[in-house]
Amino acid sequence: MTTVPFSLTRVGLIAAVTLREAVRQKLVAGLALIACGFVLGVRALRDFNFGTPELKFIADFGDGVIAGFGAVLTIVLLAQLFFGELESRTALTLLAKPVWRSEFLLGKFCGVVAVVVVFCVLLTATLSVVLWQRESALRVEGFAAVPAGVGFDPGALWVAAWMHIVRLTVLAAGMMLVACIAQTQLYAIIVGFSGFVGCHLQHVAQGVYSRAGSSAMAWIATLIGWMFPDFHLFTLEAGGAWTFEGVARLTVYGAGYAALALGLAVWVFRHREI
Amino acid sequence: MRRWPLGSRFGCFAIVKSRWRLFATVVAGLALGGAILTGLAVPQQTNREESGARLRESPGAGALFGWLGGFRALAADLLWLRMYAGWERRDLPGTQTLIRAVVAVDPRPAYFWINGARILAYDQPVWRIEAEGGFEAVPTERRRVIEVEQARLALGLLEEARGLRASTAAMWTEQANIELNKLGDIAAAAASFRRAWEQPAGPYYAARIYGELLRRLDRHREAYEWLCSLYPKLPPEDEAADAPLVLARIRELERMLAVPPAAAFRSGR
Amino acid sequence: MTGGTKPAVELRALTKDFVVGLKDLRLRAVDQLSLRVECGEVFGLLGPNGSGKSTTIKLVLGLLRPSAGESEIFGVSSSRVEARAQVGYLPESPNFQRFLSGRELVAFYGRICGLAGARLKSRVEQVLGWAGLTEAADRRVGTYSKGMLQRVGLAQALVHDPQLVILDEPTAGVDPLGAAAMADLIRQLKAQGKTVVITSHLLAQVEDVCDRVAILDRGRLLLCAEVASLGNRAVASSPESLDENDRAELARWLSARGKSPGAVVAAQSRLDRIFIDEVRKNRSDSGSGPA
Repeated sequence: MTTVPFSLTRVGLIAAVTLREAVRQKLVAGLALIACGFVLGVRALRDFNFGTPELKFIADFGDGVIAGFGAVLTIVLLAQLFFGELESRTALTLLAKPVWRSEFLLGKFCGVVAVVVVFCVLLTATLSVVLWQRESALRVEGFAAVPAGVGFDPGALWVAAWMHIVRLTVLAAGMMLVACIAQTQLYAIIVGFSGFVGCHLQHVAQGVYSRAGSSAMAWIATLIGWMFPDFHLFTLEAGGAWTFEGVARLTVYGAGYAALALGLAVWVFRHREI
Repeated sequence: MRRWPLGSRFGCFAIVKSRWRLFATVVAGLALGGAILTGLAVPQQTNREESGARLRESPGAGALFGWLGGFRALAADLLWLRMYAGWERRDLPGTQTLIRAVVAVDPRPAYFWINGARILAYDQPVWRIEAEGGFEAVPTERRRVIEVEQARLALGLLEEARGLRASTAAMWTEQANIELNKLGDIAAAAASFRRAWEQPAGPYYAARIYGELLRRLDRHREAYEWLCSLYPKLPPEDEAADAPLVLARIRELERMLAVPPAAAFRSGR
Repeated sequence: MTGGTKPAVELRALTKDFVVGLKDLRLRAVDQLSLRVECGEVFGLLGPNGSGKSTTIKLVLGLLRPSAGESEIFGVSSSRVEARAQVGYLPESPNFQRFLSGRELVAFYGRICGLAGARLKSRVEQVLGWAGLTEAADRRVGTYSKGMLQRVGLAQALVHDPQLVILDEPTAGVDPLGAAAMADLIRQLKAQGKTVVITSHLLAQVEDVCDRVAILDRGRLLLCAEVASLGNRAVASSPESLDENDRAELARWLSARGKSPGAVVAAQSRLDRIFIDEVRKNRSDSGSGPA
């Protein structure tokens, strides 16, 4: 019997086809265009800005666009690609070949992550241009506030982009786990969004449960804290005075959760009837 | 296809058991792996409560509204606009609620805290007094009660701001003004002006007013020493620093304290 | 790998139940099915809709896990990835990545199966030629007709030169010319020594190309026999089988009732008749009404 070892080549082939399929989807193009439009048009929202220095407002808004649209893109795209493959039965043809189910899942995952990386890089580059252009204009206008620590910091912006990528990669892996368990696309999307909000708010739940004083509640809080990655930590690192150590730790943290979710997804998918 | 009824060995228990097994494995796997990862990769100083202030300062964060991401600046701005609509209608509870909502959504800008405090301390007492019949009709004691109540609300807001974000000179001067103008508490106002001066980019006038308030508190010696220590720090070319005015006050205090000419302050300029 | 005495496919008491909801039911799609498909033969798996043919094929390919029993391909358990190394599969009504061209699609599946370089290129061109898609190879699959989809599906199934080819309803929705071409191709595969497993509703066509057939109904094996041995069991006769006098009398009888002589035709092939008889017998034995 010829053995068929796990092959990164097959993972790459499936990822490349997934990427090609994804970039042809109207959803991806639509979200990328709308997100770019928001970043480019942020100055039109200046009239709504009261409390924040303009460059900070633009950077914040761009950050929100990347986080928000990136999450929508990750959740919906992964669900569409996964269930589309099962419903159109293209997965049937592929899995009838000497392909490990883990290769299939990893290929799909890598394809989606590639789209997410392109999305984050594209938007961060657009945001950099908008910030650089506005800062230059403010300097010409002689705004004294610009040099006082509120100027455009490209390093921090790209650290934030990396944190977005890590966080969305974790989200994609979690979404893959949900998709493997779910029977319908709609269910997977709803659970995916709930999980995303839950990961952002879990530290709040932690606080509430731990203040409740009951040991049972404290245990629940601990369990939740372990099960769901704390997305807050990524924004914390990106928004605060980031350090290489902090970024590296969170990258390990994110990669670990992604690997964990993917491992469980593979286990579930191996038991799934195609 | 053939149907196999309940009670056979393919009955519901086997199905439920297998699904529970799947969920239980996923939950246990996530919890176990997550416990290891949290221990390994999350630095202690960024854990939960300890990181409170930094956490709330970061973009995309916020105590409860973190999931709004970077949109919270926009969300806060839109809520602030709504607050103004309530302000125009003199809607006292509505305005207070929206001020609270704005600072909860985005606690970072000092603008919201300071202007919120001003509305509470200066605008709302007027609304309440007019609602009770106007300045002519409402007795002075009652007006005083209202103004103190509103000033306390404003000071509470500013104190909360200092718990959630880094304090600024502007916030301390705002506090000092409320304490001085609305509570008439000169000692508290003096302390707040001094804190304002001690903040990064603290205004020169805060230091001057601190000295002035010490004089009003009859702490002339303290005021004299303060101004003498302040004067060398004032850049002569900066009009805002107003060094000649400080020197004039020093001379006035020397006369008042009968400082001998030999011991008088030497400006060295 | 394919040598020795190991059969191409062997099923032993294979059973598959599907869970329906959370309540109390499981549906049995395949029931204690035991079969052997020998190397080099063309084997037909027949049965009415819902008889468990496609489920059986998915079990053979390891796409479904059996509830009980075993399935092996060339002696390797179907649950192992290695079992599929020498299998080409054309699913029923195949669907592919619409944005790829026919050539890209076949090359993708070739690479997935481990082909590369010049061998990949030559195999892609070869199977596209067999499938009659050389001219349309650079068109996007999304623009293909149903028949072309079937042919590109066949090309991807054959690209890695498998020893076992499984064709699930390969002529469903294909015009008669396409169906005839498919039959020719199956004969060619047999001539090359490949094992072919085919499911089809066109029983006459299966009869023409298959060495052996198995008839399934409600997941049960009703019959498994060589096609040649089924001749004795034929029960139907066509008007052409009557002598000249009988035919003339039949024509007069029809004419008297205003019917044309062509109103009576041989509607069913020999295999059709056996198929219907076996299925009816099975259903009356198991106590339910006709399908």
